[in-house]
Amino acid sequence: MNDSPVRTTCSDAQVIVTCGTGGVGKTSVAAALGVSAAESGRRVVVITIDPARRLADAIGLSGSLGNEPQRVDIDAPGELWVTMLDVRETFDNLVRETSPTPERAREVMENSFYRNLSRSISGTRDYMAAERLHELQADGRFDLVIVDTPPSRNALDFLESPERLARFLKHPIVRLLMAPGRGGLRFAGAAMTPVLKAISSVVGSDALTGVAAFLRAIDGMETEFSRRALAVAATLRGTGTHFVVVTAPSPDALREADHFVSELARLGITLRVVVANRMPPRFGSLSPSQERERAASSSGDLAVLHSLAADLNDDAERAETGIADFVTRTRDRFPGVPVARATELAEDIHSMPTIGVLSRQLAEPETRQ
Amino acid sequence: MELHHFFTAQHVLIVAGKGGVGKSAVAAALALASARGGVRTLHVSLDAESIAIPDHDLLERVTVTPGRALTDYLSSKGMGLLSRQLARSGIVELVATTAPGLDDLLVLGRIKAFEKELRADVIIIDGPAAGHATDFVRAPIQLKRAISSGPIGQQADEVLDMLADPARCRLMLVTTPAITPVSETLDVAEEIRSTVNISLTPFVVNKCDDPVPAVSSAPGETYLSEAHEYATRRAQAQQHATDLLRRNTSEELLVLPREHLTGSALVESLATSLTAGIEALP
Repeated sequence: MNDSPVRTTCSDAQVIVTCGTGGVGKTSVAAALGVSAAESGRRVVVITIDPARRLADAIGLSGSLGNEPQRVDIDAPGELWVTMLDVRETFDNLVRETSPTPERAREVMENSFYRNLSRSISGTRDYMAAERLHELQADGRFDLVIVDTPPSRNALDFLESPERLARFLKHPIVRLLMAPGRGGLRFAGAAMTPVLKAISSVVGSDALTGVAAFLRAIDGMETEFSRRALAVAATLRGTGTHFVVVTAPSPDALREADHFVSELARLGITLRVVVANRMPPRFGSLSPSQERERAASSSGDLAVLHSLAADLNDDAERAETGIADFVTRTRDRFPGVPVARATELAEDIHSMPTIGVLSRQLAEPETRQ
Repeated sequence: MELHHFFTAQHVLIVAGKGGVGKSAVAAALALASARGGVRTLHVSLDAESIAIPDHDLLERVTVTPGRALTDYLSSKGMGLLSRQLARSGIVELVATTAPGLDDLLVLGRIKAFEKELRADVIIIDGPAAGHATDFVRAPIQLKRAISSGPIGQQADEVLDMLADPARCRLMLVTTPAITPVSETLDVAEEIRSTVNISLTPFVVNKCDDPVPAVSSAPGETYLSEAHEYATRRAQAQQHATDLLRRNTSEELLVLPREHLTGSALVESLATSLTAGIEALP
């Protein structure tokens, strides 16, 4: 009997991508899925793309995480490793690997535009996340990669980043800047097209010179960039990659979860599991109004307790309704998608034992409502 | 502290916080509280999807998105036609890639222009939806590394002047009473203070549960004492996180209750709590 959607995903997938907005406990869920998979004997690495230290916090690692995976000490037949995306280091590695000579690699890495590019947060981070996923997949130490996407609306942008990069490198303006013999750095004055002139007037000619130098330095390497980018894109669209939407029952979290569900539908990607996390617990079997009646008819501490139970059960009912409506909407797009649930703990999750509790809750067989 | 003074102590108030802390609702509630306090207020949203705020005569609203800011900027430089062509051909993206942080800088530039035009007595910014407060306010510094001259370099300098002047601009950080968001907020505060030198307002601790009344014994059925224990432990965990924030900062805290409302009812209720909280500040 293996009726648990989370267990199925943890034993079948090659890649699991968790998405969800901030505050829903997405990183803890990613770590908990890692624990489940390691318990079923898999060698798992969880990579967080969030530049903050959520993952380290969530599993109680005191030191900071870096690009190099760190093994977490857990009692399981498999292995659990964790790592955080370092955009700069990943980009440097990519340049070193694809560069025809060490001199060329150095030339790229010293370029002013490259230094900005690898520091910038938006597009480059998405692309490097995809590149790092490619590396980890090829790494013989692991047979499952769990990707904890950043807690933002645009979290799924990284899925399209390989295509975006390929498009960028093919852009006429980029080709123009890369073109050898067309003046290269000497595109001042009459030779400059109106468009280049306009860009130059906005960003300044230094910046444009830097871009041109960068593009010429990576000339030839971009074929390999594109090849890898397309390989990652294929992996992400493949059946071995399972997407999980994590949500909490609050109205704002559910609104964002709706957004992720429609993004996945737009991208033609199947949603495998919905995780309803941070569900407030219910106490006793009475409804909030029954608890209120009891509070009214009793006095002292007993009245206080019944009224407290009424409030807590109100929270629980609101949460149930919110999640049930969300699941109905989601199943319109993804019929029969299973839902795994976890209760909100009284304390924040920032230790391995609490991740273990979360992992066991998520791995329970689904109870159909 | 007097409400009027709190809002007019600076021209621009940037509200920032991680996803899930309720930053947009807090920014909207601040704008409403400010207008109700008799202050001419401009609420600036950086997200096309705007939050519902109850109307008020002294409250004006505007949306500034990065794409719009860039085309507006180009138009102001006499390149209106070109900017439309650029937007259509996707070059805007290229320009943004060429100069990371340019989009954020242009948004800050628009805000600076509102300040200069005296559009309102206080301009309340609902900070960037994606990305982080740190990147947003550090954009001018980052950009200056790539572009030191020309109109953009000058724009960056002017924005930095605004950010560093506490009479012109301050940053309000919003968090929830849990360890991870609190420690991230402290990190952001430290990073921003050490790089951009922007002044902070009191921190907002949003979504705090009511204190749980103590009971002397545990009367009634087991589930009742379980409920009480759960609520007590949750309140203690929140208190612990709030204390961590208090210990590590010299700023005051504005504590807001957890609400079950949505939309403009939520904004109304938070505005009332904020008003009371601000008036209770020393």
